[in-house]
Amino acid sequence: MDYPWAIELVDFAKKYRESGSGHACPAVGGFTLRLAPGQILGLLGPNGSGKSTTLKALAGLLMPTAGECRIFGHQADSAAARALIGYLPETPRYSPHLTGRGFLRYCGGLSSLSPAMLGPRVSAVLSWSGLAEAADGLIATYSKGMKQRLGLAQAMLHEPAVLLLDEPASGLDPGGRLLLSRRLRELADGGTTIVLSAHLLTQAAELCDRLAILGSGQLLMEGTAQALLGVAPGRTLEPSRLEQLYLEKLSLHD
Amino acid sequence: MIRPAHQGALAAGRRIRLIAQHTLAEAVHLRLTLGLGLMSAVLMGASYSLREFNFGGAELKFISDFGLGALGLGGGLLAALVTAQLFFQDLETHAIYTVLTRPGQRWEYIVGKFTGVAALLALFFAVLSLLLVGLLQVRAAELGGAGVTWTILLCTSGLLWLKSTLIGAMTLFVGTYARSALFTSCLGLLLAIVGQLQAWAQQSGWDWLRGWPNLALFDAEAFLGIGQIPSVGWLIGALGYWVAYVALFNGLAAYIFQRREI
Repeated sequence: MDYPWAIELVDFAKKYRESGSGHACPAVGGFTLRLAPGQILGLLGPNGSGKSTTLKALAGLLMPTAGECRIFGHQADSAAARALIGYLPETPRYSPHLTGRGFLRYCGGLSSLSPAMLGPRVSAVLSWSGLAEAADGLIATYSKGMKQRLGLAQAMLHEPAVLLLDEPASGLDPGGRLLLSRRLRELADGGTTIVLSAHLLTQAAELCDRLAILGSGQLLMEGTAQALLGVAPGRTLEPSRLEQLYLEKLSLHD
Repeated sequence: MIRPAHQGALAAGRRIRLIAQHTLAEAVHLRLTLGLGLMSAVLMGASYSLREFNFGGAELKFISDFGLGALGLGGGLLAALVTAQLFFQDLETHAIYTVLTRPGQRWEYIVGKFTGVAALLALFFAVLSLLLVGLLQVRAAELGGAGVTWTILLCTSGLLWLKSTLIGAMTLFVGTYARSALFTSCLGLLLAIVGQLQAWAQQSGWDWLRGWPNLALFDAEAFLGIGQIPSVGWLIGALGYWVAYVALFNGLAAYIFQRREI
């Protein structure tokens, strides 16, 4: 794909209409953000800061109130854009009576994978997510972490160019989180663009090429973790400094 | 990077089939489905026990009327309640994201959901019609006379299936703009009642209901009474009427759902 930006949010703003009163509540106040292919962007911020709204808009589930959301130049709500993305929602729940493999076959079919392609891809993502042994067990018997890994597997089943992950480490144990970070880095190195929301600052700083700190729907800071902290490239980041900066930014905004 | 062909009628048809299969699988696992199926079967069985209260009519006619009534009631309730529950279950569990973030169109989800509910209703009507036929055959054998003609019964069940699926389409349309399963179920049932009374209401001077579907059209128990299959022309007309209203409600549902924020 020749387009220079995998993700483009241009003056992106989103307001939700309150049911009953009809008042429009701003969720995202309007910001511009661009991400080149093969980069990992971490969206950081407290609950209600607009992380999930931004990811949903990029997944084409929400329409911006103002501005634009584009995936490789395609409007985010177009079929062309959806063909390029894989999306992991926050707290997903899948049909408990399906097996993990059955669910992935269903997802693969919806992504128009051919029957010849489907089997190998399902096996590959089951192995990638560490669910190969549990593949033929019912989802009802899966632990929270296994369901989260299944969610990750369905998001990357069709080898999307852009992965949108809403709190991908949620429900994973420390080992699972480390493995996830490694796997996501491998994908990014292979050219996949990843946007993820996270609460764990240090892990996000280690994994992501760029960080965007959101507060009350505003983009407070954006850049590499080193640039945000004023650390020279190659130098080790101090987690405490990052946390301090994050809290400072949020308190200044409030 | 995989770039499968996701455009075109064939790809859309495949996705609709998958959504319909998934909907059917979800529906048969619902307790509500089992409950309504059992309720209808029990009511049908009760027709056998209550045949003495036939008000002087023929026993077999009473059993078939009562049985078809149970079938129609169960089918209508199933269509409204299961459609609403399945739709909002997808929204509340975020399972709908799995479908809507893939390269299909939102109308495919609506058509797939409707087709899945229609398949569930077909299964419901097939099983319970067989039960009714069994009851009628047993009683006919006991009485030593001829049973009810299969073709008439199948035709009547088919018409009731058309009616129930139309209720399902109305409920799905309501669900696309409503915010809760309870509201959707209640309004779906209310719209079904309005449809059932449409012809009567029009006769009573409520002309503004003219455009609303007349669900009583599909109540073909009368054909059983006279022992005649409806004419082919009449059946084609009823089918056309059904197609037009199902297309209208699914079209409206798809139009609203396209704009709905999930």
